[in-house]
Amino acid sequence: MKGINTLINKKSLYNLLKKREFHVSFVLLLLSVFLFSNFYYVPEQEIFSNSTAEHIINSGVKETGSLNLVTAILYDYRAFDSLGESTVIFAAVSAIVLILSFKTLPVSSKGLSFIVKRTFGILTPFVFLYAVYVITHGHLSPGGGFQGGVVLGTISIIFSIVYGSAYDYENYSPKAKTILETGGALLFVFLGGLGFIIGGYFLSNFNPTRSGLGTLISAGSIPYINIGIGFKVGAGLAIIFYTMIQKTYVEE
Amino acid sequence: MIILEYLLIFLMLISAFLAVIFQEELISIICLSVFSVSLTALYLVYKAPDVALAEAVIGAGLNTALFMTAISQVRSGKKHYISEEDK
Amino acid sequence: MLYNFVFVLLFMLGFYTILIKKNLIKMVIGLNIMEAAVFFWVIAVNYRGGVIPILKNGVEVVDVVNPVPQALILTGIVIGASTTAFLLTLIIEINKYANSINMDFLKGLRD
Repeated sequence: MKGINTLINKKSLYNLLKKREFHVSFVLLLLSVFLFSNFYYVPEQEIFSNSTAEHIINSGVKETGSLNLVTAILYDYRAFDSLGESTVIFAAVSAIVLILSFKTLPVSSKGLSFIVKRTFGILTPFVFLYAVYVITHGHLSPGGGFQGGVVLGTISIIFSIVYGSAYDYENYSPKAKTILETGGALLFVFLGGLGFIIGGYFLSNFNPTRSGLGTLISAGSIPYINIGIGFKVGAGLAIIFYTMIQKTYVEE
Repeated sequence: MIILEYLLIFLMLISAFLAVIFQEELISIICLSVFSVSLTALYLVYKAPDVALAEAVIGAGLNTALFMTAISQVRSGKKHYISEEDK
Repeated sequence: MLYNFVFVLLFMLGFYTILIKKNLIKMVIGLNIMEAAVFFWVIAVNYRGGVIPILKNGVEVVDVVNPVPQALILTGIVIGASTTAFLLTLIIEINKYANSINMDFLKGLRD
């Protein structure tokens, strides 16, 4: 009895050691020890003198005119990175439309019940108002172009889910979405060229402290860049969602 | 504030662990949505409101919607109709 | 020091999901968890107490949280969402032609 028990235990331990999960767990354990012992020496972060963060905190409001420091970094000091980010969104939208375009006629859904349709009929204009508020008040309160643009894109998602995709196709056709997206991108590049003419370098902020500090129309070109990026991101995400829900099978 | 931070980190770890361990895809996506919401609250504890807004709309709103459309297209049942001129 | 533990744990959890699981959608979920762990670590290291980086009427407050990492993470979140959308369309297209999303079945199709 004792001999058979030890034989069975040894065989099951050998089977356990041969499994793939055990090898992967062992390698990941070594990797985690290595990572942790190296991240242990990262110092407690304090803001050093004469660094970038010190300069932005001390003279960010005087140079750009916007009260929100993160918006000042994203659309004035580092506006070129925002241009690259909107290019990434544009490339993703183009790739998705290229892969998933259908040649046959898509099938539309009927939407949800009557109560949901009436509730969202009241609710959708307030969502639109909130999106416009977040986009245009980017330099006074938390928000900006990217966050407000995604909220603007969810309106098309609401139309597709609650009312059926045929309703979305009639009222908000793909041609209108494409015009909005390319219009937003061209507005960004046009403002960059305008900064080149006025300021001397691409995407410079023109007249940052002309109007008062803390009003809606201030901080030079930051609100207009926000509007361009908001339209671009919103229309891009609406195109992605509309393309991904098309079904082409015939109902049996 | 410290109790809130520890509670949110605990919720984040539990929901990430649950998202990995289940076999069906629908339960994993809902646990990923809970993970995103707890991460949003954690960004607010660390005094970063712009990042919290972005994570709320993108992580908990858009990612979940995209995953749901992908699952509804992938469920086996009806074969897709590929016409003759597409081949 | 707590954020170091949480970061390593979440990162290894996501990595394990990518390497072991056979469902293609589970791999995308693991990628999302890895990215969220990195974003969490960058924000948690830079928090040393202070107020939010929105100054009221230009009054200088000395104790403001560092605003530079928040701008970088914002870009990262949007790019992560674009990558997820593209990966999911590739999965939909694979399912249309092979009628399955299991990794073992798709590896056998190559022969």
